[in-house]
Formats: sequence, structure tokens, C-alpha cells
Amino acid sequence: MHKLRALWIRLCGIIGARREEDDFAAELESHVAMHTEDGIRAGLTPAEARRQALIRLGGAEQTRQAYRERRTLPWLENLLRDVRYALRGFRRNPVFTITVIATLAVGIGATTAVFSVVDRILFRSLPYAHDDRIVSVGLVQSLEREEFTLGGFFFDWRDNQKPFEAFASQEALPHACDLVENNPAQLNCIHAQAGFLPLLGISPVLGRNFLPEEDRPNGSRVALISYGLWQDHFNRDASVINRTIDVDGSPARVIGVLPKGFELPTLQAADVMMPFALDEGVERASSPGHPMRTFARLRTGVSIAQATVELEPLFAHTRDTLIPAQIRKDFHLSVRSLRDRETKDVQLTAWILLASVLAVLLIACANVAGLMMARGESRERELAVRSALGASRGRLIRQALTEAALLSLAGAAAGIVLAEGLLRVFLKLAPTGIPFLTRAGVDLRIASFTVLLALLCGALFGLLPALQKPRAVALAARITNSRRRTVLRRSLVAGQIAISMVLLSAAALLLRSFQNIEQQKLGLQTNGVLTARIALPGFRYDTGEKKMAFYLQAEAALRRLPGIRAVAFSDSLPPGGWNSGRRYSDLAAEGKPHAAQGTGGSVVVRRVTPDYFRALNIPIVRGRSLTEEDRSSGGYRVVLSRLLAARMFPGADPIGKRVQSGHDGPWETVAGVAENVKNNGLTEQDDPEIYSLRRSAAEDWGPPAPVLIVDALLPASTVAPWVRSQIAQLDPTVPVEIEPLSETVSKLADRPRFETALLGFFAFCGVLMAVIGLYGVIAFVAAQRTQEIGVRMALGATRLDILRLIAGEGLRLIVLGGALGLGAALGTARLLKSLLYNVKPHDPLLYAVAMLLLALVALAATLIPARAATKIEPMQALRTE
Amino acid sequence: MGEKSDVWQGTLALMALRTLETMGPLHGYGLARRIEQTSGDLLQLNYGTLYPALLKLEQEGYIRSRWGVSENNRRAKFYELTKAGQRQVKKAAAEWEQTTAILSRFLAPAEEA
Repeated sequence: MHKLRALWIRLCGIIGARREEDDFAAELESHVAMHTEDGIRAGLTPAEARRQALIRLGGAEQTRQAYRERRTLPWLENLLRDVRYALRGFRRNPVFTITVIATLAVGIGATTAVFSVVDRILFRSLPYAHDDRIVSVGLVQSLEREEFTLGGFFFDWRDNQKPFEAFASQEALPHACDLVENNPAQLNCIHAQAGFLPLLGISPVLGRNFLPEEDRPNGSRVALISYGLWQDHFNRDASVINRTIDVDGSPARVIGVLPKGFELPTLQAADVMMPFALDEGVERASSPGHPMRTFARLRTGVSIAQATVELEPLFAHTRDTLIPAQIRKDFHLSVRSLRDRETKDVQLTAWILLASVLAVLLIACANVAGLMMARGESRERELAVRSALGASRGRLIRQALTEAALLSLAGAAAGIVLAEGLLRVFLKLAPTGIPFLTRAGVDLRIASFTVLLALLCGALFGLLPALQKPRAVALAARITNSRRRTVLRRSLVAGQIAISMVLLSAAALLLRSFQNIEQQKLGLQTNGVLTARIALPGFRYDTGEKKMAFYLQAEAALRRLPGIRAVAFSDSLPPGGWNSGRRYSDLAAEGKPHAAQGTGGSVVVRRVTPDYFRALNIPIVRGRSLTEEDRSSGGYRVVLSRLLAARMFPGADPIGKRVQSGHDGPWETVAGVAENVKNNGLTEQDDPEIYSLRRSAAEDWGPPAPVLIVDALLPASTVAPWVRSQIAQLDPTVPVEIEPLSETVSKLADRPRFETALLGFFAFCGVLMAVIGLYGVIAFVAAQRTQEIGVRMALGATRLDILRLIAGEGLRLIVLGGALGLGAALGTARLLKSLLYNVKPHDPLLYAVAMLLLALVALAATLIPARAATKIEPMQALRTE
Repeated sequence: MGEKSDVWQGTLALMALRTLETMGPLHGYGLARRIEQTSGDLLQLNYGTLYPALLKLEQEGYIRSRWGVSENNRRAKFYELTKAGQRQVKKAAAEWEQTTAILSRFLAPAEEA
């Protein structure tokens, strides 16, 4: 308490120093006077008495000094003085200051922004208890890459498994559900087992979890609601517990509220969670039973690999009893960590972004280091003078540290602002598939980490000159040549160039790959094509007849519009996104044996109306297209893609042959062969494709809901409102989602666009900073050698010789750094391989372009100071001290 | 300085507080002389060190100061104890006594050993 009071008073003492100093001077004076009087009284002469008094005091000035140090906080005073001094120095040298701060800002800003994005993907623990032991368990197969389980074997696994201490499922897909009350809302509902939340270590913030008896068929109907729903719909009213809400027309009692920020391990959205309430007996006996997503918590000390081995017998039993023999080979057991389940496909992107941004940070640090060293060297004389005037080493080091800290803090502040901005840009650019991104914010932990890093690299190199005892030579006003430090600076610059080379070549690879993606032939037209998804409410359009009637009316209405070339329906759209696939081995050609089961990969199946081919401008290469007459003829007709035709009927004419999809499907007659279309995303190998005719029969219009395709002569902005109003005339309540096909395609390229833009930006920053570093070193070298240049010129060297002399320095660094960088780039390019499309990771042309670009910019950076050096007047240079 | 001892920090504060407690308000010079007298002139005080020590006590709120007039009609700054100071003297004195008591046991002539 008393100590604190003293500290506070000393802190205040820093302000208003003058008056108190005077006060103490008066007190001392009175002290000395009284002491002198006593001395005189004791018989000394006045002069001797005063001398004695001062001696006993220990010197008036020393006392004042000791008093002053106690009165205020001397270190704080010194610090303030250092800060003022540093700020004066920065004002005198704004280019240096701005360069350092901008460099730090870019380094810190980019690192913080990227780290904030990848943190959740790569590092941050998942929001569940024991998240490192939670795994996703189940089967995978070629058409479903995420683990799933089925009611037919889930219970068997649950009861007999050993590696897990908890094992529970949620429904495979949340379903749309309606909250029916005064204030109705459309929600997402999900069913989960009673053990599901305890498995994740989640307990409701309000109320309780499901009881086992509620998770049985005919158990009481209860519901957990999400925090968001509780907040938005129930105004966080605690009395919602035990209230009965109406979900999809039947009552459910709310028993709890899920925690804020709770997310399903599948990352699906869900507002209401209800007990799965599966009938165990029925499920066990059924094949396949309910599809679900199963998660489990490993026992402590059990690894994923061990768990997989231990599950193998259960899996083998399931495979041999439940899965039809023909497709058995396609099913595999999979146990994956929850993190891999959630983010596997973006982890590589995240690592690459992180690595490249760390490279940028490295370059930034090297740059700051170089700049600080240059400044230190140019101030060697100043340091020598200060040290000669009595400044201690500690004092000089403190001063240097203060400057470094100030620069770092300013850089950090600017960096965090930049990070905030960059993050917004990321969000704009980012594809939808990157999880957690929308919730990413500049993280204070991360920001402080980068600030610390900046402080460290600033301080380290800011200190270097101060640590060295200023030599007396430095006083002699000559710019001294400290070889060791120059070597260090040069290697820093070479390192910067090397890292930039790596970034630049990676960016070039991605850019080329992105270009390939954008410029590839899709095999279909996207210009002028609009797609519309019409969500018919299931309860009013409950039969295929009603749906078909609606869609056919819409088709007819749209065809009457001016400037519409074709109107068609399909259940999915190329080139990417969802489509209903089949295994190749499920297809049968008449008179030919089935292909070996589970082989041949997958085949895209689309159910289309005849105008599909005209709307998307897909040419028919053989036979004929589907026709309007086919729709009502009742016959089954298909069109095969060229790839599929060649596979099913090698060397034969497929027209008129009959094919069957699935073992119970109708036999369909091949009407024609269509040109191949990009149909498996933008970067994957095309799949064979089969188009079956969407007949005007009720059974052809069931789920999945068809997509409307309109090919128009007029721009989308004109046609879209027409389409809307035509559909509204048929039924004003159905929601319509319209999107030009070109936009859909562009969205598919979001991921590579995101990666390319970011890496390109980092490469740009890296090169820019490296070039600044290079310029700094060459300018410094040129300044150091001013006298030498003068001598050389006086002895007859031409300006070209001087240019060669100075630029040669830079050229050496460029060649050295470039060569190192090229090696590193070739070594790391393999990591990019899976992100590249139609680009070889070692494409020599791209590396040459990157090299050339870097060399040109770097050369320019050396030529500027080198040219300046040639402008030196020999006589003046010789006089330069 | 012969056999005269120097004063180490911490004890000087206690001496000053204790002197102010018994003597009432004193100016710096008077306080210094008084401490020397009380020590039986065994202590040789470096007067310059007294003032930072007094300042510290004042910052901690144990003493306060005001300008007044000395016995010889000279303007001087007088120091006196505050309430907190009076409590502090008792506390510090008790602590000091305990310390010396413990130390004296160590320094007592060995009896049983």
C-alpha cells in the first residue's frame, strides 16, 4: 500500500520537476548554513566551517542527484528521453522510418491475417472435450468419401467394439423443418442419439440432454434448441425450458439450450436437435437401415491406427453379411481424426499459405535487420561521440533498444490494421468450402505473437551496432568499413532474393494452373445460360403429377418469352457440384456381360429434357438428340457421352442398342452420342456420362428437384426478372433461385483463384521487400566507396567502369540469391503438385520467367544507386571525409 | 572513519522515524545530529544520504514536511510523523527487535556445544 503510494508520487514527480528541485535546493542551503554556524561556534573559520559542512554532506551536487533519483523514477525519465531522442532521429530520416514501418506492417499484417484464417483449420483445438481423441468412424466407398454407418450394423459395432469409450451417431443429413407458431420459421432439424452430446463433451447451457428413454421409439418427443434460435426466437427466455413447440405440425417439449457456438462435428447447420429414437430391433434386422454419421472417443492411449485394426473384424463381418457381393470391394473401413474429417481437403492449402506468409515475414525481418544495421553503421560516429562524452554501454544499448521497440510497435500497429483489411479481402475472395473462414477474426494472441517477433528481429539487429564498442577510429569521421557486418548484410539480401524466388515461382505455377483452369474447354456454353432452382413446398406439391404439371407449365410459359432459345430441365448441372452418380459396373449393355463389380469408377447420370443439349450447346456427334416426341412416346431413350459410348461399345455403333442402369432399371435405347463435357469439377478427370430422357410421366419428376435451364439471347439481368415473374404467375409463394451458369462455373474456380491471388500477393510483397533490401545495400556500398570511386576516376576510369564496379556487387547477390532460390523452389514445388492443374511442377518455362522477372527488378534496384555513383565528381569525392 | 560505523539503508529510516517519534518535529540537520547523539557518537552519518531517505518516508506517507523557523531563526524544513508513521515505528521496531534477538542467539558464546 505504502509502496504503491510512493510509486505513484514518484510517477507524478516526473511532471513539475522544477519547483521541487528549487525547494530542495533551499532545504540543502539551510542545512549547510546551520552546519556552518555550528562549526563557527566550535571555533572554525567561516570558510573552513562551510568546507567541513559540505564534506559531511557528501557534496551538494551528489546529494541533489541522489535526491532527484529518489524523487522520480529515473529509468522512466531516461526512457522518455530516449523516446524523444529516437522520435527526433526518425523525423530527420523519414525514408528510413517509413520503409521500416511499412516492411514490418506488411510482414505482421499478412502473417496475422493468414494465421487467423488457418489457425482453426490446423492448430486450434476443436470445441469439444478431449477433441484430440474424437474420431469419425464408418465405411467409405467411391461415391461417398466421408465415413458413414448404417442402422444395419451400427448397433453391432457399438456393442462389440473395444477401442472406444464412447460411440454415438447423428442423422446423416439435417432436414428442413418448420417451427409452427405465431412467428413461424423454417429451421434445420437434426436427430442424434442420447449419447451423442456426452461423447463430444457438450452439455446444454440450460436444461438437460436427452434421456436414454427419450431416445427410443415412442419415447416422449423432446427437443434441444440452438443458442442462436434461443436468442433470436425466444429472446433468451429461460422459461423456454419445458415449453412445447410445434415442429412440423407435431408438438415437442424443449428440454435444453445448446451452448453458444456449438457446432455439429459435420459442421452442418442445425437449429433443433431431437432424439434419433431408432428402433434397435428393426434396425438390426434391416439392410441397410438408417444412414448416419458416427463419431467415437478413443480410449486413452489407443491410436487411430490401433483402433482401425481392432475394428477390422467387425467391418469384415459387416461387409460379408450386409453388402452385396458385387460391390463389396468398393467398401472400406475408415477411422479419421475429427480435425481431418472437418478440414482434410483444405489442410494443404492452409499449410502452403502459412509457409508462404512465414516466408514473407522472414523477408520482412531480414529487410528490417538490414535497414537497422545500415542505420547503425551510418551512426557509428554519433555513438562514438556519445560514448566519448561519457555515455555508458548500457545507456547506448538502451537507446538502441528503445528505437527498435518504437519502430516495431509502430509497425505492429500498422500491421494489425492491415491484417484487418486483408482478412476482409480474404473473406471476399475465399471459396465457400473453407471451413470456419466466415468466423475468422484478427486474433489477439496471434497479433501479439507477431508483434513479439517483430520486436525481436528489430531489437536483435538494432542492437548489433550498439553492442560493439565504438572504436576511436569512428571519431575520425571516416565511414569505417566493418567487413563482418557487410558480409552479414549481403547474405541477408541474398537470402531475401532466394526466398522471393521461391515465392515467385510458386506463384507462377499457381497462376499458370489457374489460367489452365479458366481457359480450358468445358464442352458446353455458359454465356447467356441462366439456371433457376425452384423449391416447390412438399406439402402442396405432394405428388409427381402436381410437380410435373407445375414444371411443364413453367416450361411452356418461359418458351413464349422473346429472345429465349431453349428451355430445359435436368437434375444437375455440369461442370461440377452435385450429380447423381452410379458405378460404371451398374450399367449393362444388352447382350454383354456386366463389367466386374465395383470397377470402372463412377458414371454421371443426368435426367434431362431434350432441349438440354441445345440449351448448353452440347453437340451430338452420332445418331440423334432426344426429341420432344420422345417425351410423350413412353419409350425409354438415352444419350451417351462419347467417353461412355467408347467404353460400353468399343468399336461398335451404339445407336439403337439398349442399356440398363442399375439391376432393376428399365432397358433404355441409345438414341445418340453427345460430345464429352467437363463434368467432374474443373480439375478432375472427366467421368463418362449418361443422359436419360426425362419423360412427361409423373415418375420422372420426383426428387431430386429439377433445375431449370434457360438459354437466352438477352443479358441475364433482363431475363432473370422475366423468369421470376413467369414463375410467380404460376405460384407466387415458391422461392426461386436464379444464377447465370457462368457464375456457377466461376465459383468452382474460387479455390484456385483464392490460392493464386494470395500467393501472388505474397510473392509481390516478398520481391518488393527484397528489392528494397538490395537497393539499400548497394546504395550503402556505393556511399562507402565514394572516395575510392573518386580515385579511380581521377586515374582515368570511365563512368562505365564505375557502373560495372557497383552494379557488379548487386549482380553477384542476384545471381547467388537467385541460384539458391531456384534450388529451393525446385525442391518445394512437389508440395504444390496436388494444387496444380495441367502444369508440371518443374515446368522450365515458368521458372525461367520467374527468374527473369526477379532479375530484371533486382537489376533495376542496383542500377539506380550504381548510376548515382557514376555521377560523382572526382574532385569532390576526393575531398569527402 | 576509525571505529565509527556507517549506517546502512533501512536502519536509517527506522532511526529517523524513532527519533521523530521521541523528539517531535525536527529539521533535517537537527535530525541528523540527534541520530548521531543518540548513537553515542558511534555513528558517522553521511548527511547527504538522509535526505533521499526522508523523501522516501514522505512518499510512503509515514512523515510529512513543512517549512518553519529554526531555533536560530533560520528558515528550515521540519519533518514530523504521521499516524501511519507512528504505526510504522512500532511495527518496524518490533521486527527489528525480533531480528536482533534471533541474531544474538547465534552470536551468543557457545555453552553446550
